[in-house]
Amino acid sequence: MRLGVLYSGGKDSTLALMKAQQFHDVLCLVTLVSSNKESFMFHTPNIDITSLQAEAMELPLVRVETLGEKENELADLKKALTLAKKQHKIEGVVTGAIRSTYQTSRVQQVCHELGLWCFNPLWLMDQELLLTEIIKSKIHAIISAVSAEPLDETFLGKKLDTRIAKRLVDLGKSHKINPAGEGGEVETTVLDAPTFKKKIEILKRQINYKNYAGTFTILNARLVQK
Amino acid sequence: MILIISACKEPLSELEFIEPLKALVSNSKVVHYTQLQAKDLALAEKIIISGTALADFDYLQADFSWISKLNKPILGICAGAQVIAKAFGWELVDETHIDVKPVHMVKLNLLVKGDFNAYFLHTKRIRGDFTTLAKSGETPALIKHNVKHAYACIFHPEVLNQEIITLFIHAKHK
Repeated sequence: MRLGVLYSGGKDSTLALMKAQQFHDVLCLVTLVSSNKESFMFHTPNIDITSLQAEAMELPLVRVETLGEKENELADLKKALTLAKKQHKIEGVVTGAIRSTYQTSRVQQVCHELGLWCFNPLWLMDQELLLTEIIKSKIHAIISAVSAEPLDETFLGKKLDTRIAKRLVDLGKSHKINPAGEGGEVETTVLDAPTFKKKIEILKRQINYKNYAGTFTILNARLVQK
Repeated sequence: MILIISACKEPLSELEFIEPLKALVSNSKVVHYTQLQAKDLALAEKIIISGTALADFDYLQADFSWISKLNKPILGICAGAQVIAKAFGWELVDETHIDVKPVHMVKLNLLVKGDFNAYFLHTKRIRGDFTTLAKSGETPALIKHNVKHAYACIFHPEVLNQEIITLFIHAKHK
């Protein structure tokens, strides 16, 4: 089946993409760039890096801008998937949804309206197991945002490895946060993965942090040989 | 052993519809409906038939008539509910729900203990002579054969109502 992946550039959509590639052909990435920082559906830090990630994977990117206004986001999603269907003849869509019924039911609805299959290969996965699988899958993800007490500035820009995963799991137990960041506590940006032909090198970045909320913004980056 | 029957055409869908069931059921064996053998049914204590992707309708072409002869507890989820309905001659009517919706218990039963919210992802409702245990609006959401321990659940309990699956596994169906 010809598939498009709803791609945010983070660890979950990258793992979902790699799982989909085990069974089907991934023909394109689809990214919605939201200008609303409070968007329930699409806001992700470093979303602009998806164009570099697509280049690294040698996949075309369907990029649609959205104002991120609650229900208009659906129209923008439909626009993006319609474009992907037309340009790349996709028959189905893959998402990295884990537990949000709000997000997944909306993607399912749009896929249903467009006659597309919808696959959510990480759906309901245990968050600790998910972190382990991401590390085992050799996905090089860095933490690009934190948004929950007690996540401090030291997390920003760190590679998601066994040590950081253990810290997140431990904090998940002591402070009731989702260790894999399903509730938006942690966002990640993927710099390399087995499906990347080249990897991303960060040339310039900016860290902002205040009161347990911070971002690691990539200002300039390039692709380099692996 | 609890037999989980996969209704998924695509193996990629099994990550979404089978893996969450496996995580909830400790002593399980998974068999795809096209590979099902009489010995699998004979060895099973109870049976669960999974849901599948919204765009998948292959399972409706398969022969699930064995369900009507079965004398073991069986729970069908979404697509699984539809094949149970077909086996008992109930009607499938086009009706799409993709959302979280409230469900109201209408009859005391072994699987639900009151009202709750559930995740719906289906394009068919079931009409026929059965016992409705819970409704969403006017749509029967959890139904039971009038005599047998055959349950059809048109929503996905593995998402928001995992206790329904746990209760099904542990209930003493007399």
